[in-house]
Amino acid sequence: MESQYKGSYSNGGVESGGVANRRKMRGCDVVLRFLALALTLTAAVVLGVDKQNTTVAVTLVPTLPPVNVPVTAKWHHLSAFVFFVVANAIACAHAAISLALTLANRSGKKGITMIVVLFDLVMVALLFSGVGAAASIGVMGFEGNSHVQWKKVCNVFGKFCHQAAAAIGLSGVAALVFFLLVALATWNLHKKH
Amino acid sequence: MATTYTSETEKVAAAPPPETRAPAKKAHTFALAEVVLRFLLFASGLVAVLVMVTSKQTKYLSVPGIPYKIPRSAVFDHSPAFIYFVAALSVAGFYGLITTLFSLYALIKPGCCPKVLSHFVIFDVLLLGIVASATGSGGAVAYIGLKGNKYVNWGKICHMYGDFCKHVGASIAVSLFGSVILVLLVLLSIHSLSKRIPK
Repeated sequence: MESQYKGSYSNGGVESGGVANRRKMRGCDVVLRFLALALTLTAAVVLGVDKQNTTVAVTLVPTLPPVNVPVTAKWHHLSAFVFFVVANAIACAHAAISLALTLANRSGKKGITMIVVLFDLVMVALLFSGVGAAASIGVMGFEGNSHVQWKKVCNVFGKFCHQAAAAIGLSGVAALVFFLLVALATWNLHKKH
Repeated sequence: MATTYTSETEKVAAAPPPETRAPAKKAHTFALAEVVLRFLLFASGLVAVLVMVTSKQTKYLSVPGIPYKIPRSAVFDHSPAFIYFVAALSVAGFYGLITTLFSLYALIKPGCCPKVLSHFVIFDVLLLGIVASATGSGGAVAYIGLKGNKYVNWGKICHMYGDFCKHVGASIAVSLFGSVILVLLVLLSIHSLSKRIPK
């Protein structure tokens, strides 16, 4: 009986002051999860609707005036951006599910908490790698690479590049939020230890 | 209630050594696994950096208008993504070395510095972010090099610099392994922390 009572309480706090602390922690957790949900959703949507039509002047024959050729930049032309959008969508789905689980899991069952922390950790890795991939391609678009004749494209597609940069920034903040969630969980464990 | 209590105490009294030794043994196993994982992290960081740095390949290409062939080399520091990759993996390898020594010391002398050891978990998560982003950025550039991109006229280069691309690919695979190791390390730390919570 005694051990059962303590066992069900072991996730909260040993002292009576732990209850208020626990509520504060839970509130912090929920707010951070909501923030992560909003940020990843915004990042995925901002890059997912990224598209720009423009015209480029091409000189086919030096004696004739240049011909205007319409060109389009879409987000799914670059595989790194596809990975970025998919990673953000997965993180968004995880944030929604874990938000629901955290709200439903009032008694603080240990198994559910551990599974949520495990997936938080995977989301940290996934979001950081997505941000890295998209940012390296974005830098390539801004700067180009003279060694392998990859020309920069952001002088033509200015709006496209700025929208992609905004999405990368948002996703970077979301990755930091997931990092904070994992840090909060481990800090919680430390306090109880 | 009373009878079950006495039977419980009798059981404990009858077999005290396994009851008390089991958690200690488990903790020892955890510490040993942590040392092994940290050493693997150090090794993967070192291997990834070495393979990436030694990836230079020089080819003699003929250029129209010039009678002789000119050497063109592919080096990792031609791309900022690969420079970031090398920097991040060096940091991870260095961190792996330091924490291996620390956890080895804790294994030999149990309970010497629990405060320091238990704070490694936050840095592990931070390193996971850094290594994952390095893997992502290196992988994205390497993928463009392998396949090219016809929409923005970035031609593939791996048919010319095959050895270079093999080195880069191997290095990225090793760093992916390193990030998996980091995930396992954090999980191990969290698991052993939650095991040690007094009921």
